[in-house]
Amino acid sequence: MSETRSSEVDQALDRLEPTGEHLEFSSHTPWWVQVVKWGLILLVVAVLGWMAQQVIEAGHWLMVSLIGFIALCIIAVYATKRAIPAKYLFPGVLLMLLLQIWPLLYTVQISFTNFGDGHISSKEEAVNSIVANSVREVEGSSRYGLNIAVPEGSNVATGDLAYLLTDAEGTYYVGTLEGLEELPADGVEAGPTGRIISAPGWTTLTPQEVNERSDDLADFGVPVFNDAGEQTAGIRQVGLSEAFIGTPTRVYDEEADTITDTVTGTVYVAEDANFVPEDGEGAALPQGWREFVGLQNYTDAFTNATLREGLTKVFVWNVFFAAFTVVATFLLGMAIALLMNDERLKGKGIYRSILILPYALPIYVTALVWASMFNQDFGLINNLLGLDINWLGSAWWARVAVLITNLWLGFPYWFIVCTGALQAIPSDVKEAAAIDGAGAFMTVRRVIMPLLLVAVGPLMIASFAFNFNNFGLIWLLTEGGPFVGGQSSIGSTDLLITLAYRLALGGAAPNFGFASAISVIIFFLVAVISYFGFTRTAALEDVN
Amino acid sequence: MKRTTGAVAIVSAATLLLSACGGDSGEETADAGSTAEETSAEDDAAAEDEEAAEDEEAAGDEAASTEAPVRDENAELVIWADDVRAPILTEWAEQFGEEYGITTQVQVATDVRQQFKDAANVDQGPDIVVGAHDWLGEFVQNGIVEPVQMSSDTQALFTEDSLAATQFDGQIYGVPYATESLGLIRNTALAPDAPASMEELASFGNGLVDSGDADQAFVTPVSNVGDAYHAYPYLSAYGGGIFGKNDDGGWDPDNVIVGSEESIQGGEKIAWMAEEGLLNVNVDFPTMESLFAEGRTPYMVAGPWAIPNVEGAEIEYAIDPIPDFEDGGETVPFLGVQMFYVASGAQNPTLAQEFVNTYVTTEDMQLALFEAGQRPPALQSALDTVSAEDEDIEAWSAAGEGASPMPNIPAMNAVWQPLGQATSDIVGGADPAERLEAAQEEIVSNIGR
Repeated sequence: MSETRSSEVDQALDRLEPTGEHLEFSSHTPWWVQVVKWGLILLVVAVLGWMAQQVIEAGHWLMVSLIGFIALCIIAVYATKRAIPAKYLFPGVLLMLLLQIWPLLYTVQISFTNFGDGHISSKEEAVNSIVANSVREVEGSSRYGLNIAVPEGSNVATGDLAYLLTDAEGTYYVGTLEGLEELPADGVEAGPTGRIISAPGWTTLTPQEVNERSDDLADFGVPVFNDAGEQTAGIRQVGLSEAFIGTPTRVYDEEADTITDTVTGTVYVAEDANFVPEDGEGAALPQGWREFVGLQNYTDAFTNATLREGLTKVFVWNVFFAAFTVVATFLLGMAIALLMNDERLKGKGIYRSILILPYALPIYVTALVWASMFNQDFGLINNLLGLDINWLGSAWWARVAVLITNLWLGFPYWFIVCTGALQAIPSDVKEAAAIDGAGAFMTVRRVIMPLLLVAVGPLMIASFAFNFNNFGLIWLLTEGGPFVGGQSSIGSTDLLITLAYRLALGGAAPNFGFASAISVIIFFLVAVISYFGFTRTAALEDVN
Repeated sequence: MKRTTGAVAIVSAATLLLSACGGDSGEETADAGSTAEETSAEDDAAAEDEEAAEDEEAAGDEAASTEAPVRDENAELVIWADDVRAPILTEWAEQFGEEYGITTQVQVATDVRQQFKDAANVDQGPDIVVGAHDWLGEFVQNGIVEPVQMSSDTQALFTEDSLAATQFDGQIYGVPYATESLGLIRNTALAPDAPASMEELASFGNGLVDSGDADQAFVTPVSNVGDAYHAYPYLSAYGGGIFGKNDDGGWDPDNVIVGSEESIQGGEKIAWMAEEGLLNVNVDFPTMESLFAEGRTPYMVAGPWAIPNVEGAEIEYAIDPIPDFEDGGETVPFLGVQMFYVASGAQNPTLAQEFVNTYVTTEDMQLALFEAGQRPPALQSALDTVSAEDEDIEAWSAAGEGASPMPNIPAMNAVWQPLGQATSDIVGGADPAERLEAAQEEIVSNIGR
C-alpha cells in the first residue's frame, strides 16, 4: 500500500521536473503577498526606528548602532530574493542572540567590574551626590517664606528665575543668582504666614510651572556673602514655600581629586572606587562608583576562604542532588506512566490530573508547606508517623528532606513526558517481546527503556542542569541550612548557586560583579557536565 | 464506578492533607495582609515569612501583582508605598494635587525597597518612597535619596527616637510617621497578669505547660537559621548589641560588639531561656502565630504586625513591654521607624519636598496613617491624641520606650545571617561565649568583604 503511494509521488515529481513548473511558482507571487511582505518589512523597520529614537534620547550609542545593524540585516534578508535559508533562520538566530547570548555576555562583562550596592553610578554622579547630600543649614540662621517668580513680561518657561523671600522679621527680598536685594514693600501682597503672593514687576509661577522648571531650579541658589564679599553660603528652596540658608560641608577639589569635609577637616582621597580618609582613620564616604576591576572578582572567588573550604563538599552534594533527583524522579514518573498506560485501568483522567497536581502548584507554596511539614515538634510528618526526627536541623536528615521534597515536586514532569513518549512506542515491539518470552520486567528493561531513553535523554540533561541550579527549592525549604560547626557561611544543603548567592549578595553590600563571576564559573561547570552528558546520549541513539 | 469513588476519596484525602499542612504552617494565608505589613523587621527569617505570606497572597489573589509598578509619565507627583498605606495615601495625594493644581499618583509596590533601588538606577523611580528607616544606609550609598531640610521648629514636633532614626551621616533624609517595636503579647485567658520578670514568666508559663493548659510556655521566632531581630532584646539586655556608636552618635561599622562580654552575658540568658523551654528552634514565625492563635501558649513576643492574626482568632490579649531579667538585665527591642523618603532622581523634586515638608508633618495626616497601619505615630501631638484613645497604641508606645533604633548602616546586611545562626545554635545548646565570638569574626569578615 505505502509502496504504491510513494511510487505515484515519484512519478508525479518526474512529470514536474522537466517543465520547471515548481520554479515558476515561486517567481509569480500574487501581488497581495508582495504588499503584505513589504508592509511587514516597513513595520518592523519603523518599530526599530522608534526604538532607536528612544535609545538616542537616553544616549546609548552602542544600542543605536546595534538596532541599525539589525534593521540592515532584516532588509538584506527579506527584501532581496537571495539567502533563502537565512529567511527561515534569521528570527531564531536573532532571538537566540538577544535572549541567550546577550545576557551571557552582559554577565561576563559585569564580572569584570565592581558593580553592586554602593558602586552603582559613575564617579561624577557619586561626587555630585556626596556634595549635594552634605548641604547643612547654617547654624542659627532662620528660614525665609518663599515664592518663585520670573521678571514681569518674560516667559514663565524660560525667564530668569528669582526667589521672592520674606525673612522672619517680615522684610521682603528678591534673590537671584547675583545675590539678595531688598524688595520695596509697596504693592507687595503677602499671605497670612508672610509669604509673598504677588509683587509688582514679578510674575509668580504656579506649582505646575515651578515643577516644569525643576531642572533649572536644581542649579539655582541665591549666594550669601560675608562682609568681605566672599560667598559663604546659599539660599535654597525647601519645596514651594520655604527657603533656608545652607552650605555644603563637603567640597570636591577637581584638580587634586579629593573631597574635604569643612566641619571635621578630613581630606578624602579616591581609592578603590570610594573616597577614603587620607590618613586612613575613619570610614569611607558611602557613595562609591562603578569601575573596571579586571580579574579581581575571579581571584577573589578562587582565593575566598569560605569558597575554598566549602567548594568540594558543596560540589559533591550539588552533583549528587541533581543526579539523584533526575534518576529518582524519572524512575518514579516512568513507573507511574507505565501503570497509567495500562488499558485495563479505568478513570485514568482523574488519576492523571491528581498526579500532575504537584507540578501545577507553585513551588513557593509547596516548598513552604513541606518545610512546615518537616518541623520536628509541630510538623505533620513526625506527628503522623510518631517520629522525632530533626528533619531540618540535622545535616543528613535535611538532605533527605530536600530529596524527598524534590522527588514529590519533580516526578509529575517525568510522568507527563513518559506518558507522551510511551504512546510513541509501537505496540508491535511489545508484542514481539512477549512472543519471544520476555516477562513484564524484561520488556520494560530491554525494550521500552532503551526506546524511551532515546526520546527523553536530552530532557534528562536539561533536568540535570535545572536541578544543578535549583535555587528556589533550597532557599524556600532550608535556606541552605542547617549550618553546623558554629558558622553561617556553608550550609549542609547548600548548592553552589545558594552558596554563591549568600556570598555575593549577603554581605554588607550586594556585589553583582562578584556574583556574576561565580555565575560564569558555574556556567562552565554545567557546560562541561552537559557536554559529557550529550556525548553519552548520542551513544544511546545507536539503538535505532 | 467503584474506581471513580476511590479517586474521589483520594482527592478529598489530598485536600485534607494539604489543609492539615496549612494548619501547621500557621494561618499564613489568612493573615497574609498583616504579615506583609511588617516592613521594618528586616531580619532574614522575618523577611522570609513576609515574602512567603506575600507570595501566598499573590497566589490566591490574581489582582495582587508582584511586578514593579511603572510610573505614569504624566503624573506630577508619584509616590510608592506598600498595599496597606497606599489607599490612605491616595486620598492625601489627591488633596495635595487639588490644592496645588497638579496630578498625583500613588502606586503599590510589593517590595518597595528593592523595586525602588532597581527603578532609581535607571531613572524610572518615583518621587517619594514610603518605607522603613533601616533602608536608609543602602539608599544613601547608592545615591538615590536626598536630604529633607526640615526646619528646627518642625523637627521639634517629632519624638526624639523617630527623628534620630531618619538620620544618616548627620543628615536628615526623610519625614517619619510611625514607630514599631517588639512587645509581649499575652493571652489574658491563660495569663491574666503581666509577668514582672522573665523568670516569673518562665515559671508561670511552665506551670501552664505542666498542668496541660498550654503546649509551650512562650513563643517567639527562632527557627533553624535563627532570627537576630527577635533575639536582639535578650542579647542587648546587659549593654551588648551589634555595633558601638561613633563620635557623632551614629552606628560604627568598624566596632562590632557581638562578641563583647556584655553581649555574651545576654547570650547566656538566651541559653537559659532555651533551657526553660521558652526558646525553641522549631518555632518559626508561622508556627509562632498558629500556636498563639490556637491558644496553645500564653505569651508571644512579636510586633504590631502579629496583632491582626490574634484578633482574627478572637483571642483576648494584652500588650506589655518585654519583661526584664531579675538580675538587672533590661531587655531592649529594636525600634523601627516608618518614613517618607524623597528620591534624588525625582522628576518632580520641588513638589515632593513640598509634600513631605508640609503634608506629612501635619497631625491630620499622621492620624490618617495611623488608621491604616495601627502603629504609634511619630509626631508627638498625634501620638498623644492616639494614646489617649487607644490602649493598644499606648501599650505599644510603652513597649517601644527606650528601644534602640535599628542600625540603618549598610553593614547591618552583613549581620542578620551570622548573628541569627549564632542565636539559633545557642538555643540548640551551643556555648554562648564561643558561638558569639565566632559570629563576631564572621560579621567582621563579611563587612570587610
